[in-house]
Amino acid sequence: MNRVRRLLLASTLTVTTLITSSASADIAIVVNAGSGIDQLTRSDAVNIFMGRYRKLPTGNVALPVDSSSLKARFYRALVNKDLAEINSYWARLVFSGEASPPQQIASSDDVHQLVIQNMNALSYVDGANVPDDMHVVLMLGE
Amino acid sequence: MRRLLPVCAGLAMAALSGIAEARPLTDDGRLTFSGFGTLGLIHNNLDEADFTRDISQPKGAGEGWSARTDSLLGAQVGYRFTDRLDTVVQGISRYHDSGDFSPEVSWAFLRYRPDPGVQLRVGRLGWDVYQLSDSRYVGYAYPWVRPPVDHFGTLQLTYIDGADVTFKQPVGSDLLLLKLYTGRSDSDVFIGKGIEAHFDVDKVYGGHLDYETGPWRFRVGYTEVESDITFSGDVPEQLDAQFDQIRAFNPFFSLTADDVLGDAFGFDRVRLYSLGAVYDQGPLQLQAMWNRSKTSAEGAVDSGFVSAGYRIDRVTPYLVYSEVETTSDGEGGSEGDFKQRTYSVGARYDVTANMALKAQLDRVHIQRPGFLWRDIDSDWNGGWGSIFSLGLDFIF
Repeated sequence: MNRVRRLLLASTLTVTTLITSSASADIAIVVNAGSGIDQLTRSDAVNIFMGRYRKLPTGNVALPVDSSSLKARFYRALVNKDLAEINSYWARLVFSGEASPPQQIASSDDVHQLVIQNMNALSYVDGANVPDDMHVVLMLGE
Repeated sequence: MRRLLPVCAGLAMAALSGIAEARPLTDDGRLTFSGFGTLGLIHNNLDEADFTRDISQPKGAGEGWSARTDSLLGAQVGYRFTDRLDTVVQGISRYHDSGDFSPEVSWAFLRYRPDPGVQLRVGRLGWDVYQLSDSRYVGYAYPWVRPPVDHFGTLQLTYIDGADVTFKQPVGSDLLLLKLYTGRSDSDVFIGKGIEAHFDVDKVYGGHLDYETGPWRFRVGYTEVESDITFSGDVPEQLDAQFDQIRAFNPFFSLTADDVLGDAFGFDRVRLYSLGAVYDQGPLQLQAMWNRSKTSAEGAVDSGFVSAGYRIDRVTPYLVYSEVETTSDGEGGSEGDFKQRTYSVGARYDVTANMALKAQLDRVHIQRPGFLWRDIDSDWNGGWGSIFSLGLDFIF
């Protein structure tokens, strides 16, 4: 009886852990594995994705790419804002000719392709499914 | 109503388009099109004076409802030649100094970015004299129905034809930004009943230093505007008629209304000193700005505001306090001086990720009526006024 109870408890715990981890999977900011960029700080990521200062540690110009399916989660994790607030932020910069928002890409396969082909491209993927040929430079907790 | 048609057309376009980013018009993404607009409705409870958004508007919103003051439509086309070189052209249709909604080109520049830390722009540029001043018609970008009139309404220029250069330098995790600009411009400003000033700006130059640390962005700025001013309207015409009578007896009498009014106002050389701070962290937005404009006649315009907004889901309630006061050198007394303060409360509701609905109540305490109002009753010494505004802002 004790064994059964222990087993039940263990399996419940495992299931709970699995559910929590998939529901709160982190967002990984990724670059090309050969880009030479080891990691970025959160303020580097804010500077690049929010158009404040787009210089990579390698000295090259950063090319940030928004992945449409993860965009809402990403900006919530990065700056605690929803998409209407992000659009409002960009409206000021776009219509005063200061900066342009990241390139928007709808399909995650296309995001993957772009990052694989461009040494200066940055994007984000679900932290639980980082492809082998991408390198994580920053993990954002959700 | 016919004048509002372009705005309605823009609204329809915004409603039809689901996305809110600059849309690429070509497969290579080099050519982009985007825009912004506002449908605004104002109710003014004062029958003694008409409300304006800024000194370029010849007519204000009289007692009752008006859609003229805040409604506008803007559109932008961009073309990227290379990663370092691009061009942007932007036009706007709003009620302005020509007395109608005639569209004008508000931006048209060539931009060169040799490095992420350096940007050079040449052409027509928005007047970036203080924080938000070059995006003050982009309603979707801020929580209010319009930027505080006491602070932004007295700006005499919307754009300059010239050049600017911006340098950005990271300092640890902070960012230091320096922008310098120079150019020329012109504008018509309505400064009182029967006086309109035409600014032919030979030279406008200035710059600002910004420091960004975490959610804070601080700015200190300085600008100088040198202009040839001519006046029109009943007041200068009557003055010139009187001078002509004197000249009939004394041919050596050479004064003109432009001389007299030019000396009195001292608009030929205006220096603007400004400070600003913006805090933007998650749902909380705070802003505070202050400006002093000094004229060559030792007069000054002091203005400032503080604003706080807090976003709860799709609704952002906000509070604003603003004030403006002009002081002259004392020779003209305080007769021509203007003083008022405004308490505002409002809310922004984000309908979709490219459209926001706003409602705002301004309680304006006009201590001495002046040039932000139109058609002022001659026996009116000021008082409290209530301006209720509704705005629908969109981007496409």
